[in-house]
Amino acid sequence: MNAEYMIRTEDLTKVFGNFTAVDKMNIEIMPGQIFGFLGANGAGKTTAIRMLCGLLKPSSGKAMVAGYDVRVDSEAIKRKIGYMSQRFSLYDDLSIGENIRFYSGIYQVPYKVAMERAKDSLKMVGLDLSMKVMTGSLPLGFKQRLALVCALLHDPPLLILDEPTSGVDPMARRAFWNVINSLAEQGKTIIVSTHFMDEAEYCHRLIIMRSGSVLVDDSPRALKEKYGSRNMQELFLLLAGAVNE
Amino acid sequence: MSIRVLFSFVKKEIKQIFRTKEMLILMFGAPLLQLLVLGFTVTNEVKHIKLFIEDRDNTELSRAMCEGFKHTDRFDLVQQQRGESSTIMIQNWEAQLVVIVPQGFGRELRQNRKPDVQFITDGLDGNSAAVSLGYAQGIVARFIQSMLQESRQKYPFTALSSMPSQVIVSQRMWYNEDLNSAQYMVPGIIVILITIISMMMSAMSLVKEKEIGTLEQLMVTPASKIELLLGKLIPYWVIAMFEISAVTFAAHFIFRIHFTGSVAEMALAAGLYLMTTLGIGIFISTITDTQQQAMFFSWFMMIFMILLSGLFVPVQNMPYLIKKLTLLNPMSFMLAITREVIIKGTPLRYMFREVAALTLYGFVTFFLGVTRFHKTTK
Repeated sequence: MNAEYMIRTEDLTKVFGNFTAVDKMNIEIMPGQIFGFLGANGAGKTTAIRMLCGLLKPSSGKAMVAGYDVRVDSEAIKRKIGYMSQRFSLYDDLSIGENIRFYSGIYQVPYKVAMERAKDSLKMVGLDLSMKVMTGSLPLGFKQRLALVCALLHDPPLLILDEPTSGVDPMARRAFWNVINSLAEQGKTIIVSTHFMDEAEYCHRLIIMRSGSVLVDDSPRALKEKYGSRNMQELFLLLAGAVNE
Repeated sequence: MSIRVLFSFVKKEIKQIFRTKEMLILMFGAPLLQLLVLGFTVTNEVKHIKLFIEDRDNTELSRAMCEGFKHTDRFDLVQQQRGESSTIMIQNWEAQLVVIVPQGFGRELRQNRKPDVQFITDGLDGNSAAVSLGYAQGIVARFIQSMLQESRQKYPFTALSSMPSQVIVSQRMWYNEDLNSAQYMVPGIIVILITIISMMMSAMSLVKEKEIGTLEQLMVTPASKIELLLGKLIPYWVIAMFEISAVTFAAHFIFRIHFTGSVAEMALAAGLYLMTTLGIGIFISTITDTQQQAMFFSWFMMIFMILLSGLFVPVQNMPYLIKKLTLLNPMSFMLAITREVIIKGTPLRYMFREVAALTLYGFVTFFLGVTRFHKTTK
């Protein structure tokens, strides 16, 4: 398979019992792209993302991530991705510094290097906090940014963000997207799932999913032109909800 | 397996344990409380039994026998209430044991005609009834014995002294001379404690990561399943080992129970046993989603393990099928070893069966727990 793709799937499918969560997904993601996964709740975004991370085994089909097959080399893939889920996943009862130290240990990044990276990332996400602050005492928007800092400690070429901005206020969301943009400029590939349509505008390319299937796969501008919608909100409602009901 | 990854997990876990107040109470406060409560209160000794003596003979000999009941804290003598019969006194809970000395007791004894003495107990609390009967029989037997000796010296040629000497049972309870219940309970408490720490705590700490979502995060890291599990379990293993020593020390100073066996052998047995309980802990974490469920499940397991361990009910007294069931219970083997090693000082080489069972259960359970724990979901 061509190594120039960061991610490429062929008929990637996940079936739970007699429910098909993801149905024959075919996507290609290039390095440096911000790629959006859009869809209503239950459309299959999270299942698709979990398969790409190696958290779920596909029922059939193929997926290559960072040059590795998810079925065979899921452990190798884990070194290449930074993952951040909708659930805040740092330890509340550890301080910021301790969380960073823990994850740098898990990823086996030398402590000094990890600390340098963490400081840069903290600056980038606009957090100016003492390492001694307990994570549990931070507001959610801060925590999410801190989780992103930890996901970047091992300098992964691919970032997978599963609804990273849910529950975060508009200002913080905007700040978060600025960070995502600058990460893409640094050459990182970023997959973001979201159901905020204004956020979809920031993506270079996106897919809209419904009942496990990919409905459309294009850039936001091309999609709006094709369907004659003024904004993504309208387009999304047209495609993901109202049609065929 | 990377030592650094393992060490990161261990360090993080220890920090978290010592920062969670509930965990600390459960791990260090509860054991001490359990030791004190169980050590002092769970006892087979029965004291201050309400005793009523109905002496229908009222002779020198009958009174001398009744004296024996008065000089012990096991019995509290009660007086007859308004001419109630002794049976009514038991019904009204005024007496738990009634001793009826029949008329002619003294005369028959002198004539060597083996008089009867009746004991009536309140069998509602069967255990204390049986124990108090034992005490009462002992008192009567001692009285007869001393009578015989005395009369042989005083009146060598009377009927009583010519009574054929009966077999006198002289009891000695080795390793626990005065049937001290703490001596009996403490090894059990040690076993229960380390089971709680290892099984419940490990299950809960694993499920907690599931609950707050950090487990998913860990699963997308390159850390292997073994590193994750060992890193999480080693702290509990160490704390459990530490608690065995702490409880043993406390038992030494509070209950004067001396550790007579080999410390190294005890550590070996405990180490093996902990593999089983930690393995069960992992297993519980794989079938539960919340800490409450994990807690409930661990208690459920604990109760079965304790009841089938022989701590409260001796295994020999159990029905055949249940007795076989205890062979599946690692706790019963561990309890046997702990008692033998601490109280009796038995070297482990005499407990091959128990050690073999612990080794088998340890490796099998740990292996099963680790296999069931997945880094990917189906």
